Amino acid sequence: MSAIVQTHGLVKRYDRTLAVAGLDLAVAPGEIFGLVGPNGAGKTTTLRMLATLLRPSAGEAEIDGWSVTRNPDEVRRVLGFMPDVFGVYDDMKVWEYLDFFARCYGLPAAGRRRMVADLLELVDLGDRRDDYVQTLSRGMEQRLCLAQALVHDPKVLLLDEPASGLDPRARVELRELLRELRSLGKTILISSHILPELEELCTSVAIVDHGQVLAQGRVADIERRLRFGAVLRVRLLLEGEALEAARDRFAAAADVASASIVEDGTIELGFRGDDEAVARLLAESVSAGLPIVNFARAASDLEELFLQVTAPDRQPLEAA
Amino acid sequence: MSDSTTSTEMIEMIEPSERYELGGSSAAASPSRRWQSPLAALNRTAGGIGAVGVKELRGRMRGRRAFIILTIYLLLLGGFAWMVELILERNYSFSFGGNGTYATAAIGQGIFAALLMLETLQVAFLAPSATAGAISMEREKQTLELLVVTPITSVAIVLGKLLSALVYVWLLIAASIPLTAVVFVYGGVAPEDVLRGYLVLVVTALGLGAFGLFCSSLVKRTQAATAITIFGVLVMTIGSVFVLIFWQAMASADNGRGSGPIKGAPPQAIAYLNPFLAQVDVLCGTETTFGGWCSIENSLLQTQNGVVFDGGPVPAPMPLVDPGFNRGGVFPAPEGRLVAGDVAPFGAARDAFWPKSVVAWLVVSLALLVLTVQFVSPTRRWRLRRGRRHREAAT
Repeated sequence: MSAIVQTHGLVKRYDRTLAVAGLDLAVAPGEIFGLVGPNGAGKTTTLRMLATLLRPSAGEAEIDGWSVTRNPDEVRRVLGFMPDVFGVYDDMKVWEYLDFFARCYGLPAAGRRRMVADLLELVDLGDRRDDYVQTLSRGMEQRLCLAQALVHDPKVLLLDEPASGLDPRARVELRELLRELRSLGKTILISSHILPELEELCTSVAIVDHGQVLAQGRVADIERRLRFGAVLRVRLLLEGEALEAARDRFAAAADVASASIVEDGTIELGFRGDDEAVARLLAESVSAGLPIVNFARAASDLEELFLQVTAPDRQPLEAA
Repeated sequence: MSDSTTSTEMIEMIEPSERYELGGSSAAASPSRRWQSPLAALNRTAGGIGAVGVKELRGRMRGRRAFIILTIYLLLLGGFAWMVELILERNYSFSFGGNGTYATAAIGQGIFAALLMLETLQVAFLAPSATAGAISMEREKQTLELLVVTPITSVAIVLGKLLSALVYVWLLIAASIPLTAVVFVYGGVAPEDVLRGYLVLVVTALGLGAFGLFCSSLVKRTQAATAITIFGVLVMTIGSVFVLIFWQAMASADNGRGSGPIKGAPPQAIAYLNPFLAQVDVLCGTETTFGGWCSIENSLLQTQNGVVFDGGPVPAPMPLVDPGFNRGGVFPAPEGRLVAGDVAPFGAARDAFWPKSVVAWLVVSLALLVLTVQFVSPTRRWRLRRGRRHREAAT
């Protein structure tokens, strides 16, 4: 199936800095797509260009077949956008807030009341209908903003750092909500630098740095393609010389690039092999009689990928 | 790539319905390409104005605040009218020894002048400050982006904000009409004088409201927008009068002993946006003589009761019909006639300045609104070269 969100060589230039430097994205319908990258990588700029808030300096971006530069109105109708930082109007009740945005989309009065009730139910704010917006908590505001992005039943949702500033419970709720939206057939594009969260949620990710996509696809695929090293942490019931002996033993094993004691009882291994090699190493170690308590990758997969892909030796790009 | 860049730059801000399809294939892929008739576009904009207007009015009129302000405003205005009435009455009961015919007309004119000037003062500061925060507040609270990614047009946002602010100012103006109508009890003021005064008020409110909105869209902070707006109002009112006086002082001939460094009379256009001078012209229209307000207008605008003598030397000041008494309508002119009606000496007509002011405000309002729409639009064509870029650069 063809992509519902697509960019070709998208560029945004500010003075001599390239915020986005020829970004190519393709998001298939029904995906939850994660845009991952360090601060300043161009995630927000990319989303803002997709949301018709910024004009690309060059390149093309299309949503549901509509060009963001040539058909901004059509794009706005198929798009729900939630910026990373946003405010809510004071002096407005929760239902009035949604009603206002529904009017902005030109929805007929007859349907608005029903729609507002449904949306408030969806984002679990049904009992706050008549409260003033400014009395809501941060997590509730976030959900209200999401509801606001949904008033016109868009095909595509662009969420810029939706989980920032949320407590763990609100994050879990948001994740559930996004899964529910996906089951309703929405395509969701999320930017974030909180990786474990995206890893659980996203069907695909694009790792972005210096305004370019460094890797794109399903998390597992990217991982397989890019894996040239992982960090394994092994905790052993050993101390002192016995621990050092174990370290030396690991260092001599196949596929192990380095081995060092990081804290009492824990050895960190730079590992080059694939998953089978990991299993083999573990089996060998256990059969050799090492008292292993814990044997795991050091970081979450995505985090590790991210660190590898966005290694600091990459130079920032300057416009000609 | 450069080709497509240029074409995208060029089509910015063109209404989608008029947009020339460049890529073709992508747009054709989506079957529901809507053609929008001008009527539908108008309808859509009207819907947007309604949406923003309803939202703004909900905020503005909620609770008792709006009505308390209205009450206090009317009480102050009423108290002021009463005070002016008492002062004038005492004044005239001494001067006229009971000659009530002229006294009541003079009191009526005095109250009318006082009320009109006070309302102008109120409009001059209330209208722009009602709109000065309208856009910048949305920027500060970071709500503007949520609004502009909806299909609502920038025109609808700007007009919705302006009209909802003006509705309140116009409500205050309208609420003062019954109070102003008290002058009809005294006489000396014709209904058309009142209409003219209110027309100037309503149009001034529109113009200054548009000015406040423009300032609000220009700068990011509400505080700065309000400060610029108030400064602008002061320049239009006090500033324009100062320039007029300064110019005249520099240009005036000193009884044939040579003239100042500037040649000629100051252009009247300097004062077009001064609502107080427009009201002075309206008040001049109520006077039977050309003393009082008319003489103020003459001295400031170098008019002969509203008519500018273009080109050539500025004629000597017109001899006042009643040089001894500047209070209009108090005494019959020495020749024994009351100079009534629109015809003045030298064929000069009354009411020649305020219409220019009204037209100037309408033109300026339109220009300001066009600019405001540009500044509100996220992908606008004209961009301030400095400042904004850094804000956008923060990804």
